[in-house]
Amino acid sequence: MALTQVHTTGTVMVGIEVVAREAGLHPDLVRRLVRMGVVDRSGGTRATPLFRNDAAGELAKAARLRHDLGLNYAGAVLACQLLARIDQLETRLRRYEPRNDRPR
Amino acid sequence: MAVAYKDYYEVLGVPRDASADDIRAAYRRLARQYHPDVNKEPEAEDRFKEISEAYEVLRDPEKREQYDRLGANWKAGQDVSGTSGFGGGFGGGPDGGFRDVRVDFGGGGFGGGDFSDFFEGIFGGRGRGRASGGFEGFSSRGSDQETTLELSLEEAARGGRRRITLADGRDYEVNIPPGVRDGQRIRLAGEGARGPGGGPPGDLMLRVRLRPHPQFDVDGRDLEVELPVTPWEATLGATVEVPTLNGTARVRVPPGSSCGRRLRLRGEGLPDPGGSPGDLYATVEIEVPKQLSDEERELWERLAGTSSFDPRRNR
Repeated sequence: MALTQVHTTGTVMVGIEVVAREAGLHPDLVRRLVRMGVVDRSGGTRATPLFRNDAAGELAKAARLRHDLGLNYAGAVLACQLLARIDQLETRLRRYEPRNDRPR
Repeated sequence: MAVAYKDYYEVLGVPRDASADDIRAAYRRLARQYHPDVNKEPEAEDRFKEISEAYEVLRDPEKREQYDRLGANWKAGQDVSGTSGFGGGFGGGPDGGFRDVRVDFGGGGFGGGDFSDFFEGIFGGRGRGRASGGFEGFSSRGSDQETTLELSLEEAARGGRRRITLADGRDYEVNIPPGVRDGQRIRLAGEGARGPGGGPPGDLMLRVRLRPHPQFDVDGRDLEVELPVTPWEATLGATVEVPTLNGTARVRVPPGSSCGRRLRLRGEGLPDPGGSPGDLYATVEIEVPKQLSDEERELWERLAGTSSFDPRRNR
């Protein structure tokens, strides 16, 4: 029976087989995407890495971008990283933008 | 039922005589613009599905030809369910001509999620239950998840109901059996990860971890506790109080008890729902006073001068 582990912070940690199943990808493809830096391992060992449970979402996103946008995997990985960076920057930007509903 | 015609060429913004390369280029351009992973606008996903549906038809010469035959009639009205191209030639009903059409929804995208009634009316239903990333028709039980449930020794001993909240916000009222042991798992059926492709969810396992207790050590169902005694209690024997999980008990320290002697209190360990409870072992620890009054010193000196006891004699 496959078990996932939960880090003391409460984050669910899962092995590569579980990540692959939840992402709907072949484990070999997951290993390849991990090597390309789509997600980093959060625990375990180099031989049996463990990932946060949201890693499956990132991996599935890379696969979707590759498929839907006609990218190769390197392009999909770059797109994922740029999208994550854009998200961060937009979050920061929203903090500095004056809200319309505030009195001037 | 009336099904509105969809102009796939218009969706992709290409002329009706567009080449395969033009269609692919138009799709890629629009996909980059509206892909739900890229575009967070609420209408982007619907737009992307529409684009994907159009591309699904126009990229395939066979399906494009079928669609184009319908297209000759589309100007008869937006509702195409009664046109000869749709109702007669395109198999809108159960006996229609395109039941055999296999639609290739190869791996991984959003686009193949749920195509329109128009599409399904022409090309038939599509596969369901696909996983998010690429194995068409793949469905399996979700994985089991495990988390740690920390309990005090007292909570583990008496059991009862306990509310727990996971980091992701899920909370549960958990029934803890009395006498639950360190490392034991409590199963919450069906509360694990969702099954890919609509498969049944796995289970959530709560692994019990007993917090260290300031007084008691745990050994299976038995408990151990230190029992400090005075030198004269250890020598002469005494009945003293010993802490238990439920309060205190009295135990007889036999005369002549040295350090390390274990005194058993039967049944004062952890309960066992399926059998007899464990025992509590009180280990004698002789403690001596650090400071003596004049009278105490005199008495100890008299004892030292009188006693012939030498614990090192036989070593």
